[in-house]
Amino acid sequence: MRTNYSDLAAVDGRRRLNMDKVMTAVCFVLLFIIVIIPIFMIIYNAFFYEGKFDLSLFTGQMTDSKNLAAMWNTLKIALFTTVLGTIMGVFYAWLLGRSDIPMKGVMRALFNIPYMFPPFLGAMAWDILLNGRSGYLNRFLVSTLHLSGMPFNINSLGGIVFVEVSYYFPFVFMQVVSALERMDPTLEECARIAGAKQRTVIWKITLPLVKPAISAGALLILTTSLAHFGVPSILGYAQGIYTLPTRIYSVIYNTGGSFDGIRQGAALSVMLVIVVALALVLQRWVLSTGNYDIIKGKSMRPTLIKLRGAKLPLLLLAVLTLVLIVIVPLVMIVLISFIKAYGLPLKLENFTLAQYARVFNANGTLDSIKNSLFASITAGVVCMFLGTLVAYVVQKIKPRGKGILEIVSMLPYSIPGTVLSIGVILAWSGALGVTLYNTIWIILVAYMARYLSFSMKTSSAALLQVHSSLEEAARVCGASHTESLADITLPLIRPAMVSGFFLIFLPAMREVTTSILLYGPYTRTLGVQIYSLRDAGMIPQAAALATVAIGLIIALNTIVTLITKDRKGV
Amino acid sequence: MANVRFEHLTVRYSEHTVFSDFSLEVESGQILCLVGPSGCGKTTLVRALLGLNKPETGTITVGERVLFDAKRRVNVPAEKRNIGIVFQDYAVWPHMTVIENVSYPLKKQRRNKQEIRERAMKALEQVHMTEYANHLPSQLSGGQQQRVAIARALVTDSDVVVMDEPITNLDAKLREEMLLEIRMIQKRLGATILYITHDQQSALQLCDRMAIMRQDGSLCQCGTDEDIILRPADRFVFEFIGVSNFIPLCVEGGRTYLDCGEKIPFADLPAGVDARGKEMGVRLNDVVFDRQSPIEATVTSRVFLGSEYNYFLRLGQRDIRVQQSTLDARTFGMVAAGERVGIRFLNPRFYDGKGAMA
Amino acid sequence: MADQIVLRHVTKKFTTKTLGDIVAVDDFNLSVSEGECFSFLGPSGCGKSTTLRMIAGFEDLTEGEIELCGRIVSSKKKNLYVPPEERGLGMVFQAFAVWPHMNVFENVAFPLRIQKMNKSDIDRRVAEALKHTSLTGLEKTFPSDLSGGQQQRIALARAIVTNPKVMLLDEPLSNLDPKLRETMRFEIKELQRRFGFTIIFVTHDQAEAMAISDRMMVCDMGRIVQIDTPENLYNKPCNRFVHNFLGESTFVNVLVKDGKVYAKGDERQALSLTAPKSAAAEMVVATRPNEIALTGPTEDGYQTHIEKRIFLTDRTEYLVPVGEQIVKVQTPHRVAFAEGEACCVRFVEPMWYPVEDAAAEKERSRRQLV
Repeated sequence: MRTNYSDLAAVDGRRRLNMDKVMTAVCFVLLFIIVIIPIFMIIYNAFFYEGKFDLSLFTGQMTDSKNLAAMWNTLKIALFTTVLGTIMGVFYAWLLGRSDIPMKGVMRALFNIPYMFPPFLGAMAWDILLNGRSGYLNRFLVSTLHLSGMPFNINSLGGIVFVEVSYYFPFVFMQVVSALERMDPTLEECARIAGAKQRTVIWKITLPLVKPAISAGALLILTTSLAHFGVPSILGYAQGIYTLPTRIYSVIYNTGGSFDGIRQGAALSVMLVIVVALALVLQRWVLSTGNYDIIKGKSMRPTLIKLRGAKLPLLLLAVLTLVLIVIVPLVMIVLISFIKAYGLPLKLENFTLAQYARVFNANGTLDSIKNSLFASITAGVVCMFLGTLVAYVVQKIKPRGKGILEIVSMLPYSIPGTVLSIGVILAWSGALGVTLYNTIWIILVAYMARYLSFSMKTSSAALLQVHSSLEEAARVCGASHTESLADITLPLIRPAMVSGFFLIFLPAMREVTTSILLYGPYTRTLGVQIYSLRDAGMIPQAAALATVAIGLIIALNTIVTLITKDRKGV
Repeated sequence: MANVRFEHLTVRYSEHTVFSDFSLEVESGQILCLVGPSGCGKTTLVRALLGLNKPETGTITVGERVLFDAKRRVNVPAEKRNIGIVFQDYAVWPHMTVIENVSYPLKKQRRNKQEIRERAMKALEQVHMTEYANHLPSQLSGGQQQRVAIARALVTDSDVVVMDEPITNLDAKLREEMLLEIRMIQKRLGATILYITHDQQSALQLCDRMAIMRQDGSLCQCGTDEDIILRPADRFVFEFIGVSNFIPLCVEGGRTYLDCGEKIPFADLPAGVDARGKEMGVRLNDVVFDRQSPIEATVTSRVFLGSEYNYFLRLGQRDIRVQQSTLDARTFGMVAAGERVGIRFLNPRFYDGKGAMA
Repeated sequence: MADQIVLRHVTKKFTTKTLGDIVAVDDFNLSVSEGECFSFLGPSGCGKSTTLRMIAGFEDLTEGEIELCGRIVSSKKKNLYVPPEERGLGMVFQAFAVWPHMNVFENVAFPLRIQKMNKSDIDRRVAEALKHTSLTGLEKTFPSDLSGGQQQRIALARAIVTNPKVMLLDEPLSNLDPKLRETMRFEIKELQRRFGFTIIFVTHDQAEAMAISDRMMVCDMGRIVQIDTPENLYNKPCNRFVHNFLGESTFVNVLVKDGKVYAKGDERQALSLTAPKSAAAEMVVATRPNEIALTGPTEDGYQTHIEKRIFLTDRTEYLVPVGEQIVKVQTPHRVAFAEGEACCVRFVEPMWYPVEDAAAEKERSRRQLV
């Protein structure tokens, strides 16, 4: 039956000045400023010089052998990370979702941990352990096994892939676990009845059914890895291994942030955008061929597969994986933060708290924490409201051009952070009469553009749950349009707005990729500060600050869990 | 309480006309059930009454108050119409407790706290929900949520209460109970209720009067349950209100035959009916077994359904269905598959054949 | 005919966090013979689905054993458990469970491919199964492009393609609209006639069960209440629960005094009923609304009046006070009374039940939460 006409909006729309129109206009204007202008500036600067169309810069960059090598590295890393991360994610998702392996709850929580921490901390930790020249573990192995050379070298493509896999496999893991949970178990039972053995059911039924979840997660890994800055920059610099994002950074850094360097960066950005765009096209194509509904019927516990003899070995494997990717890096960072000087053996007499004192007395550390808090909280709050506003306009008011609104607000999500930063620099360092460069505001603007889609997505989903009859019932009960918004709609999506805030606040707190290009002398963020300390060779100090950051992240996540847990029955 | 009048109402969505020149009156203190197949525009009509869409022409009046008049450009906004509504999906606000839900309309009328509390509790008492006053909707069953919605619709003493498929989401036993309860509440309060449904059975159980809408949005009959059942206005009403057999008739040499592949003489044609091009419609339980009847059919199968037996008969080349109540089965005896049996048609109705209608 | 499915002392216990131990299935004993259509009927939480899942092999037994086609497939004592894929069953689920990533042909061919049948045989048998389920021509279509009824037909075709001896149907019609439900019911019976398999049919819809079954089992709270043919169950229900569950019921609480029977709340006028010898002082008389004789006030029966008249399509419903209760009476339209008119009601051969205690009701609602 056709009852879903949004004719209430149409009825209200007849009045001259109304909230709906104002909200729609505000959306368009803000999105234009935050998203469209920076993107336009990149394209303009890459292809136009002094107002004329000029391809020479772009082709020059395209043919530069260093850039081509970087592009090749980027692709290799991304592909290997995606393949290995997907296999790992699917395997553990199945193990926790469908088998009778013990301690599921604990393991599931632990498997999500890598998602909380920035990968560059992991890169730092592994660099400390397995650096090709001075890694602690390497030296330990050489001395105990009397080897002639270092057994491992994390400063390699393989090393970069290893660290990225350990931080990005949760993308696939989380998607597939939830798909397995929502899957109607009778789909599998039916195959058993049809005569298929358990193994056959997994290959012929279960895996094909969660394919959409797998490919969605895999492409998330692919696009994230393509645009990733932290890990390749920490592990690759020493060996001269560049990827496109680190290459862009070094080009700008080496030219001291001159306009020329930024223009080169813009041209390189276009290359990166092309690669990411190809990945997105691929995603569209893969997803469109397998979009089906597997959530049906009454909820039933799926029959868990008995692992029998394989139970203990698999449990051991899972625990080892967790130790390797979660515990070891975290412990390493904490340990190093206590060491008197980098390189000393990890013995109790070499431990000190002095690094903490030093790092907090150092210039800019406290400021960096303050900056990060300010930028992330502000970005979180602003995006929470703006994202909800856009979501409301798109879902409920449905004006002409709502498709454009939707695309524009999602766009920055697919654009690599590095690219976005260049766009923001080009737009807000005077070219348009506004200069924000070297202030915290430019970081804030970049964060807002980058994370807007997070809150918009959660609010959209929540608004879809608010059936229009709820608002209509309020109107019929005597509430005006504004009152029904305030009394019904907003309270109902408030939990989603809050989680939208944290979805922005948490990653913004640990952000490096975007801020590394935008920070000025007084506007370092927490991530940038750790990165610079390490870059300057002050590894124990970097580790000390990283430990503080880890503590902060754990505390914040705990608070989030507590807040989202006891939510009133919505 | 007041009556509701729709006069010459037309609603159009871009190119699609939902209904045009529609008129209907709901009398004060009565339950009018508006019944029609899904997609016929029932819900659109309700939304026009509530002020949730805007008709192109016509007027809507509740009592003396004009809510909508296309010519005089009157369009009272939804929040000022003072109409109670119960939606199919309950539309109980999940973030408010039961009492908060029911108090909300009174709060919007800026009543004082004492009065709000008293009237809300009274409304909850009507639907037997006082003990759940401080529950959240998520702690209630579907039936209880719908009770809350009913209390919320009653609490302001609205001029009229609209119920849009209020029991469709409930299970069979509960549906029956709710119908009885709605009926009782209406009796107690003397409320005017416009009840929308696609299910003629529940409409019959509830209504004072019933209005039947066609797929194209036109009104084809409005009357008491007795009128509708015993004197259906046309073939559409007859077919819509219950399952029936249709058997084409033909006339040859002045005699009337049932045209079932082979021609079976039919003597019971009432005087004044011209059988040419007509079809005879008979309800399943109006086909009765009669050993004396010259019309004979073969039993294809018999299914026991509890209160009745369902027979499938082969009459000539046509399949017809018969319902025999268990009581009749006891007096007449049962007929087994394969046997031949005489049948008689009670209360037959004669309508133009489907071909002739087009 | 040989017994094809035999359950002996089958028991299943669950332990739940919130409600403690629940005996979902308590000592079920039954046998279903070859070619029979046997229904498990009962409210949710009565144990019918669990029993079916034990027969299919998705659940283990706590006690007892199950025999299928002469072979023990589950036995606690012998510690025997045959996995579902080796039981040779056909099964259709409520949610269709059609694999969305395979087209119609592949869905139906799957069981045969598992058996490593050669291609020409697969083609032939799938074509045959599709023909019998009216799906011919839709081979290349994907399930998401088909209606609910067609999806359920795919599930049926997939179940019959291996020609199983036993077909398990787990509420296969509940997700379909009422019209389609009836058509599908006939189609299932037709398939059974053609292929001769035994059916176990699980449903909570009594009308559906009565229409399709040769025999049915009514269960409640994990116990078997009564097993019989639909006619016998409807006409001679062994207790009030079965009476109420099958078809519409009218219950009148009565008092038995000095051999006379009075409706509760009116001891001036006796009902013309004879209480059975074993009757207690307070009993429940049960009958069907359409089996109560409604006559003019001068006839034999309980003198009362019409409280309310409701016209339904195929019958008229009258609400009539009897003592302190209101009784529902259904008659054909030709028995016409006006509201308020005096009349007589007479109960024809009613059933007699003891007054049910409230504890049973409570237990039932507790189990439905599980």
